[in-house]
Amino acid sequence: MSGWFNAHFVSMVDGVAYGLLLFTLAVGLSLVFGMMDVLNLAHGTLYLAGAYTAYALSDGSWLGLLIALVVGLVVGLLGGGLLAAAVAPLQGRGHLDQAALTLGISLIAAEVMVMLFGAEVLPTAPPSALSGSVSVLGHTYPVYRLAFIGIATLLAALVYLAFERSSVGALVRATVADRDMVRTMGVDTRKVLFGVFGFGAALAAVGGVLGAPIIAPGPGIDERVLVLSLVVVVIGGLGSVRGALLGALLIGQVQTLGVALVPSYAPFLLFGAMLLVLALRPQGLFAPGRA
Amino acid sequence: MRARRTPILIAVAAATALTLSACGGGTLGGGDEEEAGSGGPIKIGLLVPQSGVYKSLGDDMKAGFEVYLEEHDNMLGGVEVEVILADEGETADSGKAAADKLVKQDEVTVVTGVVSSAVMNGVVDLFETSKIPLVGSNASPTTLTDATYIWRTSYVNDQPGEALGAYVAEQVDGSVYFLAADYQAGLDEVTGFKRSFDAAGGETADEVYTPFPGTTNFQPFLANANSSGAEALFSFYAGGAAVEFVKQYDQFGLKGQIDHYSAGFLTEGGVLDAQGESALGTFTAMNYNFDLENELNASFVEAYEAKTGLKPTTYAMASYDAAHVLDLAIEAAGGEDADSESINTAIGEIEKVESPRGTWTWSEIGTPVQTWYLREVQEVDGTLANVVIQELGEL
Repeated sequence: MSGWFNAHFVSMVDGVAYGLLLFTLAVGLSLVFGMMDVLNLAHGTLYLAGAYTAYALSDGSWLGLLIALVVGLVVGLLGGGLLAAAVAPLQGRGHLDQAALTLGISLIAAEVMVMLFGAEVLPTAPPSALSGSVSVLGHTYPVYRLAFIGIATLLAALVYLAFERSSVGALVRATVADRDMVRTMGVDTRKVLFGVFGFGAALAAVGGVLGAPIIAPGPGIDERVLVLSLVVVVIGGLGSVRGALLGALLIGQVQTLGVALVPSYAPFLLFGAMLLVLALRPQGLFAPGRA
Repeated sequence: MRARRTPILIAVAAATALTLSACGGGTLGGGDEEEAGSGGPIKIGLLVPQSGVYKSLGDDMKAGFEVYLEEHDNMLGGVEVEVILADEGETADSGKAAADKLVKQDEVTVVTGVVSSAVMNGVVDLFETSKIPLVGSNASPTTLTDATYIWRTSYVNDQPGEALGAYVAEQVDGSVYFLAADYQAGLDEVTGFKRSFDAAGGETADEVYTPFPGTTNFQPFLANANSSGAEALFSFYAGGAAVEFVKQYDQFGLKGQIDHYSAGFLTEGGVLDAQGESALGTFTAMNYNFDLENELNASFVEAYEAKTGLKPTTYAMASYDAAHVLDLAIEAAGGEDADSESINTAIGEIEKVESPRGTWTWSEIGTPVQTWYLREVQEVDGTLANVVIQELGEL
């Protein structure tokens, strides 16, 4: 047993890093869908925009990372606001229209980013203080990923507390559960929707800034992270922070530990896991209870 | 009701996004079309990617071809030439459409270029039936063995591996672990490597193929390689995947523990800068390196650096050689009287080509028989570079 644990220890740690990165993406997607019933296929574009921001602004110093984070946050908020405004007129016209619009936006944005940054994958260096590797229980592991686990855990805890324990969070949860009832009580739900959209988008873009040294920006990365976060949402259940967190951590392990255990089935593991959940518990493993 | 159905909808959306993204290849920008009077200069189609993931290779090949033309006053075989550029894009469809345009609309006499093996497979029939010679300067799938009008100045896909296999079998005291991208080129490379590796008594630890192009995190694969007890690793990756692979190989502590051997693309051109110091000590096999010592290479490197500010890659060199092959063939075919058929015959009759890589000759299937080199990534005057360590013999 300890031999097995030893061989796969790094994979499990890395699964946590991956899971937390996926969480920053999936939580926005999940809330926006669960709450506004809007399917935002441009969500991966926000990650990519954040990652390119990190590439363009990070110069190996802490200041560079800080500037990249601030700019990424602004990019995310702006992007989220624009997307929310773009899909607003489509309210009630069904998912296909929303999907077509947001996918179109993501394709245009992808072409623009290729024009700006070229067609190469651009590996992004973390701050030089975090660029090496350290020994964790006798295994070599990149310092940056350890730091990322720390920061992302903090981020996830903050999001969880804000959503589950604050009055604004209660309002958001109420809107997820029954939008019409909240509106009847005199709350302008559109403001809540815009707020959640912008928040989710900002989180995805910040995830991109922090995640750039792990999943480097390049053409096609937007779709890849979108697909991953859609799978997380399916597995975790809609409109729930807890579901997104647990789903993301599970997919993180599937993508690292799972691949290490059965490498020859690597291409099937992700969708195999999704298929299993869809067949056995279609509402998602950790879906919030609702009427 | 909604709660039950929406996850399925998202699943469908995920599948749709996957499919659509596969179609999203950039096909912007056609070619530079210039008017040409009939009976004037010989028209040469240059089919290289001007968009998409292979654009940097296309840029190298375009520059290599242009350097040769500039050295020869835009004349090949004593005749002025007009180069018509067409964008290969990144898919078989975009490449085939561009080849069609060159052959049917622009009515070129010969075509050169082609980066992607998928495009090469897709255009075989076009060139064979229209009897227009294609002097390819990169793509060379192992399956292409019986074409009459298709030549390549590069190498067959499995040759970098084959050149390296016997050397690694002798050098490494223990087993070798194989990790390669799961597509044709990766399979070809490992197959070529194992052909000479097994024959020389090499021992295989395991052979694993990583999903392509989906893999960005190699950690689980590297963890398995690390705990396998192998003494060395042979890998095949190119482009963005090569950058990620080499960096993670270092980050997860395999560098310094397990020697890393690979086909030359792993550290060729722009990817080496992106890999940074993680690439130090990586061994690769290639048919060319900018530091080869011969007169022709010295002048080629100088001219190429003056034009682009970069050291030439094997892609640029192969394209330079394609221009050289056409130069020899057009001259032998009678200069101004040369047509597609006579040029094709003349190409086959070329006995040897003096090249920056050294002299090479045609193999039976229209690819070079050439010397292979073992290179190591070293720091030279503050920058990282592939440095030739020794020859690996002729193939």
